[in-house]
Amino acid sequence: MTHIDENAGNSVFDDAADDTMTTEEFAEVRTALGLAVPPVTPNPEIKAALLARIAQTPQLAPTPQLAQTPQLAPLAEPAVDAPRLTAVPATTATSTREPGSAERRASARWMQRPAIVLTAAAAAVALFVGGVFAGDLLRGGAAQPDQLASIVAAPDVTTAVSELADGGTATLVASESQGLSAMVFDGLTPLESELAYQLWYITDGVPVPAGLFDVSNDGPTVQVLQGTFEAGTIVGVTVEPASGSEQPTTEPIVAIATA
Amino acid sequence: MLVLVPADTDIDDAAPASPPTPDATRDAASAATDALLLRVAGGDQRAFAELYDLIAPRMLGLVRHVLKDHAQSEEVLQEVLLEVWQTASRFDPNKGRAVTWMLTMAHRRAIDRVRSAQSSRDRDVKIGIRDLDREYDQVAERAEIRIEHERVATALNKLTDLQRQAVELAYYGGYSHSEVSTMLGVPMGTVKTRLRDGMIRLREELGVAS
Repeated sequence: MTHIDENAGNSVFDDAADDTMTTEEFAEVRTALGLAVPPVTPNPEIKAALLARIAQTPQLAPTPQLAQTPQLAPLAEPAVDAPRLTAVPATTATSTREPGSAERRASARWMQRPAIVLTAAAAAVALFVGGVFAGDLLRGGAAQPDQLASIVAAPDVTTAVSELADGGTATLVASESQGLSAMVFDGLTPLESELAYQLWYITDGVPVPAGLFDVSNDGPTVQVLQGTFEAGTIVGVTVEPASGSEQPTTEPIVAIATA
Repeated sequence: MLVLVPADTDIDDAAPASPPTPDATRDAASAATDALLLRVAGGDQRAFAELYDLIAPRMLGLVRHVLKDHAQSEEVLQEVLLEVWQTASRFDPNKGRAVTWMLTMAHRRAIDRVRSAQSSRDRDVKIGIRDLDREYDQVAERAEIRIEHERVATALNKLTDLQRQAVELAYYGGYSHSEVSTMLGVPMGTVKTRLRDGMIRLREELGVAS
């Protein structure tokens, strides 16, 4: 197990046998050798999977640990470094207005045939199943992190990435066995205070509200959907009044179909 | 000095009046990477997303060069980046650069992985710069990356054959001293000496800090 030697710079492995390839003395030379290799762009699903993962992974406290302390053991208290998950408020749609027929037609199209279809992505999902960090999932606390943990730990977890119109990405992470799904957003634009993003489960063309949320900046956000995820459901996101709507009243910013 | 260059930084159209030197561009990119990692240490998920864009392609390039297998390399990439998130508070900008800290983690994990799968290794003894050149023939379109590559290639060519082979096998191949000794047919002590001499020579040729 590695440990941090306060006298050896930012070394991350001091006890390896082959010192020339580990000593701090040649760290910059090794970096030069590493940067001489052509970059390889990762599968975009990996970024979304990581953003979902870090949202529920505590960070080490800044205080240095004693040498020989297992590197990942002293996880920070959630109270200190709580994941910045925004709880999805209970959906209390108060809008009683009937959507106009044009709105119904507009929403009907994406409710039937969204462009993005959920596919299994073994590489992106590998992060979540087994491996070194499988035991690090945040336990306790709010329901959402627990639910997120159960989704990503499920053997049938699947992911699908979709581009947002204004440049960000949305990734659906879903597990039919858990009956849960979550959307990971990166680059979502903050809304004016009278508006909110609304999540939808659409089954057989019938939209069911699945939660409201907003973002304070366009950094990553993870939202677990309310309600039960079923295979074949379409997951959509629309911009609605802050109090929510009973049915979508705008074109979706993203819609993802599941098989 | 070799530093991280963001994938979307194009030195050709940087500043119109007096284009910054490649060194200046790289220094600025390195400082930006340091700043991002410090923000990540404070729990900033947005900074992590930006840092990912900068470092993930570099990490994956290196890890895949060592491991060869793409799927395994992406697994390692995710493990490393999660470790970056968890341990970012341990990064001290006064003791080294963020890119060095992060690539060191990636390289270590790649080597751990390749050594844990010894029996399935089927790699050329003469891996190294020839492979690098071949990969570059396929992707060499970005000027600043090409420059970095050529600086290292030039520096490697200043080494003796034995020094260069030892460095390439140890760094890019992840082979232990004893493995390099067997592969090159020279005593272990000689491998250690040549490796050390080679790294010292590289450090001089590249003009990087010790």
